[in-house]
Amino acid sequence: MTGTDWFTRIGVAALLVLAGGACGGDETDSSGAKVLSLPMRTDGPKTMDPVRGSTTYDNRACSLVYQPLLQYKYLIRPYELEPLLLEEMPSISDDGRVYTFKLQKGIRFQDDECFPDGKGRELVAADVIYSWKRMADESNSPKSWWLLDGQIEGFDAYREAQNLAVDGGGKFDYKQEVSGLKLLGEHEFQVTLTEPVYTFMWKLAMFQLAVVPREAVDHHGDAFVDHPVGTGPFKLDSWERRKKMVFVRNPTYWDDRYPDESMPGDVEAGFTKAVGTALPIADRVVITMFQQDQPMWLQFDAGKNIQYTQVPAENFEEAFNKRTRELKPEWAARGITAHEVPLLDFIFRGFNMEDSLLGGYTEEKVKLRKAICTALDWEEQNRSFYNSKNIVYDGMIPPDMDGHPASHKVKGQDYGDANIELAKKLLADAGYPGGQGLPALEYYVSRSGNSAEQAEMLKRQLSRLGIEVKVRLVDFSTLIETVNTKKAPFFSFAWSSDYPDAENNLALFYGPNESPGSNHFNYKNAEYDKLYEQCRTMVPSPERTALYEKMRDMVLDDAPYAGSMARRRHYLVQPSLKNFKPTETFYNWVKYLDVDPSARPAASN
Amino acid sequence: MWAYIFRRLIYNVPVFLGILLFVFAALRVNDPVWMYLGKGATQEQYETKKKEFGLDRSYPVQYFELLGDVVTLNFDQKSWGQEGLTVGELLGSSIKPSLAITVPALFLTSIISICVGLISSFFRGGKVDKTLVILAVLGMSISFLVYIILGQYFGAYKILKETGASPFAISGYEPGIGNWAHYCLLPVMISVIVAMGYDTRFYRAVMVEETTRDYIVTAQAKGASRRKILFVHMLKNAMIPIITRIMITLPFLIAGSILLEMYFTIPGMGRTLITAINDKDFPVIQVFTAMFAALFILSNILTDVLYALVDPRVRLS
Repeated sequence: MTGTDWFTRIGVAALLVLAGGACGGDETDSSGAKVLSLPMRTDGPKTMDPVRGSTTYDNRACSLVYQPLLQYKYLIRPYELEPLLLEEMPSISDDGRVYTFKLQKGIRFQDDECFPDGKGRELVAADVIYSWKRMADESNSPKSWWLLDGQIEGFDAYREAQNLAVDGGGKFDYKQEVSGLKLLGEHEFQVTLTEPVYTFMWKLAMFQLAVVPREAVDHHGDAFVDHPVGTGPFKLDSWERRKKMVFVRNPTYWDDRYPDESMPGDVEAGFTKAVGTALPIADRVVITMFQQDQPMWLQFDAGKNIQYTQVPAENFEEAFNKRTRELKPEWAARGITAHEVPLLDFIFRGFNMEDSLLGGYTEEKVKLRKAICTALDWEEQNRSFYNSKNIVYDGMIPPDMDGHPASHKVKGQDYGDANIELAKKLLADAGYPGGQGLPALEYYVSRSGNSAEQAEMLKRQLSRLGIEVKVRLVDFSTLIETVNTKKAPFFSFAWSSDYPDAENNLALFYGPNESPGSNHFNYKNAEYDKLYEQCRTMVPSPERTALYEKMRDMVLDDAPYAGSMARRRHYLVQPSLKNFKPTETFYNWVKYLDVDPSARPAASN
Repeated sequence: MWAYIFRRLIYNVPVFLGILLFVFAALRVNDPVWMYLGKGATQEQYETKKKEFGLDRSYPVQYFELLGDVVTLNFDQKSWGQEGLTVGELLGSSIKPSLAITVPALFLTSIISICVGLISSFFRGGKVDKTLVILAVLGMSISFLVYIILGQYFGAYKILKETGASPFAISGYEPGIGNWAHYCLLPVMISVIVAMGYDTRFYRAVMVEETTRDYIVTAQAKGASRRKILFVHMLKNAMIPIITRIMITLPFLIAGSILLEMYFTIPGMGRTLITAINDKDFPVIQVFTAMFAALFILSNILTDVLYALVDPRVRLS
């Protein structure tokens, strides 16, 4: 045999090895089963125990297996709640404190070895109460006790007493009754709140309050964190940490159907074709972890392994026209669709209302703050740092929430673009013509990302009024501490809403919440506080929305902050993925997704 | 030789205890429990966690427990960041993917760099030497990250895009020999290209020094072939610095490559460590650092032993 023959043999062998490996890279199912291939831009969830979870990624993973009492209506914006495990929405007593829940009958936990004969049993009301009590048990390392803290009558006292007993060598008694949690029957229970707060409803849709069976917790012990047993549409099949998770259809899932309520545009987008279809639609879900954007982006662009992607900032102009923010024709020609998701953000520059220079409620003080608000150009910031992707709006209520202003603007209080002439006049009226006599402003900002550059822009924008700014770039923990101790006169902050109800943002200006609470502005307005106390007990209604708008405008009048802006994420979806209406507010949407195995993902040419 | 190894191990016990003490103290300068819980945690939560994690015990007790765990290779401590996993399970599952990249990369880099260094030194001052030196300097001047991004783009994505074939994965990892080339070969090649610049320069300098030795002139006078002078005489005499350089990198084989693993989504040690640091996963960081120190000491001892094996003038006494 010649040398050339050997060379050829080695070459062919190498190609065969590489080709063999290449086959292993595709996520296809020869049986024709519908496989969803979804990305997760992180190292993965930390736990599959709802009580121990707190992050978005924990939420995404847990929401496939576990279910809380309520869920968000999949296609409806602004967001609305609907029953999930319940027969109907809970009935609320006239005083707003007593909630009565009726569970659907026939919902079963997934089959698991923890049950007799491995067959999942029916969900009952006692499971809900047990699951919530787990949140009180410190030995479970609950990450989200704040959801129930001070909310349910007798629950805080129960928590304290039981944990004290554990510290004393005893056991946490789950059978001990809590006055605010009452079983009314096998499928019915009642919750008594300490005060009438409607936002309790939003918490009932959070994954941390999902229902788990006691048998599974007891049987699996420490392994329960990666051995989930829920009532959800999928079962965890395998979890390779920091790599991928595979879920398979829960064969005993209850009769859950694709919703028939939709928004204008949903029909054209094809989101309504599956109305009435039994859920989940897909047979298998493969979630791949990506710690970096580039591999995720390239995998999507190549039509490999993932069916949608969030568009990384550095790839935005590759996919979208920068000016119009429309998907470029070459991507659209491949059948790829683009979706925008506004986040529930309130990004602002705050003033400490107790500061001797910037704080206060006199006409001069308000004019000084308004001069600053009017001189800041949020649109320029959006253009320069975010490719104009973000939403600049007036007020503190983010998009997709009741009370958010139409077209993002409040008439007479429009702070999107700078108005230097008006700002100069306001500054002069405040007693500082051309900035004369005004000491340098101390501006605190967290040292992260491009915050230093953004602070430079703020300095330049305010210098047009003759205002000098001293930028204090500090660690985030120092920023929090400085703001909490009321030592930061002017600071950069952001708030991401815990639930899509403006009450969450309006609470930021409620007097009793002053620092170190969430009212970092230390804003105090008796009338506002009264209205807040009134609106937090109200159910969603036009009256409540009108109240939200009134409160929003009251705060704008006093100008305790300059703003606002919300991030907007962009998603690209392969033509093979159906029914995907992206959102970052809830994460149980995987059950609605369909995949067309005949439509191969589109790779670029 | 065994007596020497034993003696060196004994000598290094105080060194290891000192390093372990340093690691132990450094990881406690900022309270790990507060770091883990964040500033929003209550004192009650803090006390509970501290007790749960066993950090409420005295420092000597904690120190000797850590020492015992490292010496007996007991890594059953629960990870704080990856619930349900022990430190041993976490590190154990990460070592293989890391070694799948680092071992071939070290092997290839060393072989190629030594050969290039030999050739370059032999033609010192000539066109071949100058070309190789320029390439090496160019290789060193470009950031590792650039190689990774471009390598991933052109080596995996572009090939797939242009030809439809996928010889190299854009990212991902599957165990097994059959999958190795698809998932690991591209990261290995990138790693080799990056390391070659540095290694070639180093080995060239070593070899250049050897070319001035008398034995080279003698070999030439005796009519030894160029190949024999290069690969027998010079290489053998240059083994001490070569061994030193290779052995120094051994502990880093375990540590993996953070950037490569992050960009190619390889669940190796580098990613595990970064994740642990981000999660304030104290047990993982502590054990990893302690084991890394132990590996460093062991590789130093092994280096000395290898010196004696390759150079009869070195006596292990």
